[in-house]
Amino acid sequence: MAPLLAVTVALVLADSAVVTLALPDILRHLDASVAQVAWVLIAFNLVLGLTAVPAAVVFARSQPRVVSAAGIAVFAGSSAWCAVAQSIEVLIAARCLQALGGALALVGCLELLVAVYGERRGVAAWVTAGVVGTAIGPFAGGVLTEVFSWQAIFVVQVPFAALAVPAALAVAATPDLTPDRHRPALRPNLTLALLSAALTAALFLLVLLLVEGWRQSPGVAALTVSVVPVAALAARPLARLLRPSHEVEVASGCFLIAGGLAGLAILPSADLVWTIPPQALIGLGLGLTVDQLTSRAMEMRLPRVRHAAWTISARHVGVVVGLMILTPVFTADLQDAQVPAQEAITSLVLDAELLPEDKISIAEALGGELSQQQGRVPDLSHAFATADLPSEERPAAARLERDLDAQLERAATWAFRDSFLIGAGLALLALLTVVWPHRRKTP
Amino acid sequence: MTSLSRLIGLPLVALVLVCGVLGVQVASGGGTFEPLQPADPCAERAVTSRADGIDGLTERLVLLGIDGAACSLGVTREALTLELAQAGTRTDAEIDALREGLLAAVPRMKDDGSLPPASELVDEALDNADLNGLLETAIRAIPDSVVDAALKTDDVLTRAIDDLDLRALLANLDSRDDLDAQIQIAITQAVKDSLAARLRDLL
Repeated sequence: MAPLLAVTVALVLADSAVVTLALPDILRHLDASVAQVAWVLIAFNLVLGLTAVPAAVVFARSQPRVVSAAGIAVFAGSSAWCAVAQSIEVLIAARCLQALGGALALVGCLELLVAVYGERRGVAAWVTAGVVGTAIGPFAGGVLTEVFSWQAIFVVQVPFAALAVPAALAVAATPDLTPDRHRPALRPNLTLALLSAALTAALFLLVLLLVEGWRQSPGVAALTVSVVPVAALAARPLARLLRPSHEVEVASGCFLIAGGLAGLAILPSADLVWTIPPQALIGLGLGLTVDQLTSRAMEMRLPRVRHAAWTISARHVGVVVGLMILTPVFTADLQDAQVPAQEAITSLVLDAELLPEDKISIAEALGGELSQQQGRVPDLSHAFATADLPSEERPAAARLERDLDAQLERAATWAFRDSFLIGAGLALLALLTVVWPHRRKTP
Repeated sequence: MTSLSRLIGLPLVALVLVCGVLGVQVASGGGTFEPLQPADPCAERAVTSRADGIDGLTERLVLLGIDGAACSLGVTREALTLELAQAGTRTDAEIDALREGLLAAVPRMKDDGSLPPASELVDEALDNADLNGLLETAIRAIPDSVVDAALKTDDVLTRAIDDLDLRALLANLDSRDDLDAQIQIAITQAVKDSLAARLRDLL
């Protein structure tokens, strides 16, 4: 029973970023714009962030197992609805409903896990499931998109969630009638929100850079971003070895995330290997911060479910803030990158080692391709495939195609730079909330 | 473990890791991984062409001409090329700059020795021209030295550039046949004018 509930927690929190690697496929399949497709992420996180605390209030006045089961059932049904959505508007609406069910499921599963495992183990299982879900979400989404389709991301959630409904109903938990004794923990929740915004930059932007900018398949991109959860695993042994205080651990984690994001902003080439060290820093930072902050925000605060809801709210509102700040920045930067990219392409075509008539053929084909790809990184392979070239000119044309692709990679990487730096700035702000001196309590 | 090592141990590890990663990236060119910057069009650029004969000559002339035009307009060669490739009306400044750029390219090519003598272009020109067979055979029979003495490539090119209706030429960029026909007419007229001028000089 309890493992199914933990899996549900992981699924709901994985859903926050699970579609990240599928966004380019969704964009193409549902004929949406980059700004529209960002709402597939924003809508889920916004609804989850806004409804978590009200869900906890409703929860306190109801039978835990019934509300939890209802939430999980809504989550399962809306996941199925997401899978069959035929327009971006329907998908966004289904994601909103999915988040609403997810909010009830999250707070409900906490109480049910505590009922099964006891206070300490139950909370630890809930926090761990959440961190695991958040960390592996993009990887799982990428693999499913590559092997099956973006719809598979939602389809696979349905049976797990459906099985969790009877599992929730089977747990005998009593309503937590503890009065609202403590105020929400402002500092850890604020740090959590800022870090979530920064981590959004890391996952959302890196995935877009890999798939849209560098033309990697979702599977390769998934494998690449799996560095983050793998590195997060190293955080606990490192913390056990050095035994830092809670503040030092969280501050170091924030600094590592900021450093990793700065590293992604100054990549020396479009080689995937260069993304590994910055991602390892981010993963290490993630492992040092998120579970610590979540536990600290809930520690010794009652009612437990209300404070757990505040952490969910902080994290997902943080994700929304991150997306709202970063989406316009990188879409504008991507638009601005078109001029230098087109000039670089023009320069290389003019100086290419091709006969004049072949240069003209390629230029005409490229012009057609570029005009169809406004606001997105163009795929030039079609232009070269359709250009009318004699066979002896093909090797020189292939060299030119490689050079042009390299220029596009440079332009795309450059376009993401400011957004990664903003992400690093958000992580530094999170660091500031940790190291800012506490106000002394008057006796 | 002392309280000092608990206080500075992890931050120190984090600092070393971050500095190490960023340092290696910067040393490997991080921060400068950006698209190719267009060259200064006013700086001298060596232009080459894979094509021989008239095509190669035209390509080199156009590349140098666009450079010169971009320089006088204060834009990059690439920006001007992209602008000219778009449909729409051209400004007088663009047309004038392009003509001046092409005219300036002729003496530059003559000076660097990349302008071929007229005799090297005659056969190819005759292949493309729609001439009476007898007249074509007669022209082919003229010795190269006589052709080179009668026709100077730079003079023909200068006259052709002056005669060309560049506005109409740029409007015809999508139609290769119309473009070729327009250039053919200008070159033929330039050859006639050059020969007539040469004859006037001799008389």
